[in-house]
Amino acid sequence: MINFNQVSKRYPGGHEALSNLSFEVAQGDLVFLTGHSGAGKSTLLKLIAAIERPTSGVVSVSGQNVGRMSRHAVPYLRRNIGLVFQDHKLLFDRNAIENVVLPLDIAGFDRRESLKRARAALDKVGLLSREKANPIGLSGGERQRLCIARALVSRPALLLADEPTGNLDAGYAADIMAMFRDFHQVGTTLVISTHDERAIAALGGRVIHLDHGHIKAGAA
Amino acid sequence: MTGWLHQQSRALAAALRRLFAQPASTLLTALAMGVAISLPSGLYLALDNLNRLAGNIPAQPEISLYLDTAIKPAQREAIATLLKRHPALESSRHVPRDAALKALGESHGLTDITAGLERNPLPDAWVVRPRETTAAALAALRSELEKLPGVEQVQLDSAWAERLQAALAIGKTLVWLLAGLFGVALIAISGNAIRALILAQRDEIEVSRLIGATDRYIRRPFLYLGALQGLLGGLAAGCVLAIAGWMLHAPVARLAGLYGSQYHLRAPTLTEIGAVLAATTLLGCLGAWLTVARSLRQVEPPR
Repeated sequence: MINFNQVSKRYPGGHEALSNLSFEVAQGDLVFLTGHSGAGKSTLLKLIAAIERPTSGVVSVSGQNVGRMSRHAVPYLRRNIGLVFQDHKLLFDRNAIENVVLPLDIAGFDRRESLKRARAALDKVGLLSREKANPIGLSGGERQRLCIARALVSRPALLLADEPTGNLDAGYAADIMAMFRDFHQVGTTLVISTHDERAIAALGGRVIHLDHGHIKAGAA
Repeated sequence: MTGWLHQQSRALAAALRRLFAQPASTLLTALAMGVAISLPSGLYLALDNLNRLAGNIPAQPEISLYLDTAIKPAQREAIATLLKRHPALESSRHVPRDAALKALGESHGLTDITAGLERNPLPDAWVVRPRETTAAALAALRSELEKLPGVEQVQLDSAWAERLQAALAIGKTLVWLLAGLFGVALIAISGNAIRALILAQRDEIEVSRLIGATDRYIRRPFLYLGALQGLLGGLAAGCVLAIAGWMLHAPVARLAGLYGSQYHLRAPTLTEIGAVLAATTLLGCLGAWLTVARSLRQVEPPR
C-alpha cells in the first residue's frame, strides 16, 4: 500500500528530517511510528499525504508516485486518506456535524446521503448526541474524536494519525486507541505516530522507530 | 451534470451568505466600483449625446471661393461657367466685390468705415452649395476648387463641424482609455475585497485542501463572490448615472428650449446597460480569480 524507497527529506535551511528511508506498509497493516519529537514522524506522515514532497527517493501510495504528483491530482489522493491531526484542525465557524460532512461536500456527494453518513461516523466515535455542538464547546478528547469522525466519514482505505493522543489524558487516549483497533479489524490500513507505549503494547502491530531521521528497529 | 449544478448552486449560496454577512463592506466596495465605472460610461453617454446634437444641426455647408483681385477676364468667365455646370454643386451664387462691401457696411453698421475706404479691399467671390456633405466629398471638392486658376482662397464653412467631429473622436479614444484604466481599478478593488474575505476564511481553505478539496472547489465560491460584487458595482454605476441624468434633465431641456429645440438627453439602451453589467461582473470575477490563485499558492506552495 505504502512504499518508501531511499527517501530523504531536507528542509530549506539544511535540516535533514529523514535520511534514506526504505520500508513498506502492506494493505491492512497497523503501524506505529515512534521516536522522540523531531525524529521525523510528522514529516513521514506528510510525505504519504503529499503535504510535503521528498527531496530524493520515491514515496508511492497504492502504486502512485506521490512525490511527483501534480497539484491537480493531490486532492483525489487525499480523498482516499483519512487524516487525524494532533491539533484537530476543526472549523469553529460551524457545528460538529458540519465539520464531519465537509469531506463529503468536497467530494460532491448528495447532501442528504452525506448527512446520513456523517451521523453514522459521529455515532461510531460516540458524539451523535453532540452533532449540533460547536467544536469550541467540546473537550480535547471530544475534539479528537470529532477529527477522527471527519477522517472516517469518506471510508478511506488508509488512515494517518499524527500523535492522536498527544494532548489527552490516559482514559481518553485508551478510548481513541480502542477505536483505531476497531478500524484495523475491519481492514483499514493505519499509520499512527505516538509516544504511547501502553497503546502499542495493547494493540500490537508493527513499530517503526525513528531516530534523527533514521529507522532504528522494527522495519521489515 | 446534476452534481455539477448542485456544487455551483451551493457555491453561489455560500457566496451570497458571505456577501450579506458583511453588508457594510459589500456596499462600500460596490460604491467604489460604481464611482469608478460611472466615469467612463458617463463620458461615453455625454459624448453620444453631443454627437447626436452635432448630427441634429442642419448640415448645409457652403463653400466660399475668393477670386484673385488680379484675375484675368477669361479666367473669371471660365470659373463662372464651371460653377454653373458643376455636377457636384447644388447651387452657386456670385457675390461681386461692390455688393460684398455694401453688405458688410449694412450688416455690421460699418458704413462710416467702408465709406471712408479709398478702394474696395474685398475680392469678388462665389458661394456654392455642394450636393454631398460628407467630410470626404467636401474635402475633395475643396481641393478641386482651390486648383482653379484665378482662385485665391477657398473656405469651407463646415470647418467647425469637422473640428467637432475630430474632438468627438478624441473623446471616444478617451472613453476607451478610461474604460481600460478603470477596468484595471475594478479588478484591483474586487481583488482587495476578496482578499479580506479569504483572510477570514484561511482556516477553512487550509483544512479543505488537506481533506481533498481541489483548487477549483476552493476557488468557486470566491469567483461567485467577485462576480456578484462586480454586478453590484455595475448596478451602483447605473444609479450614479441615473442620478446624474436626472439632475441634468431640466437644465438641458431649458437650454434646448432657448434654442427652440426639442433636444433631450438620451438614456442608455438596454444593450449598453447589459454590456456594462456584464463587463463589471466579468472583471469582478477576474479580480477574485487572481487573488484566490495567489492565496492558494500561499496555503500550499508549489514545489
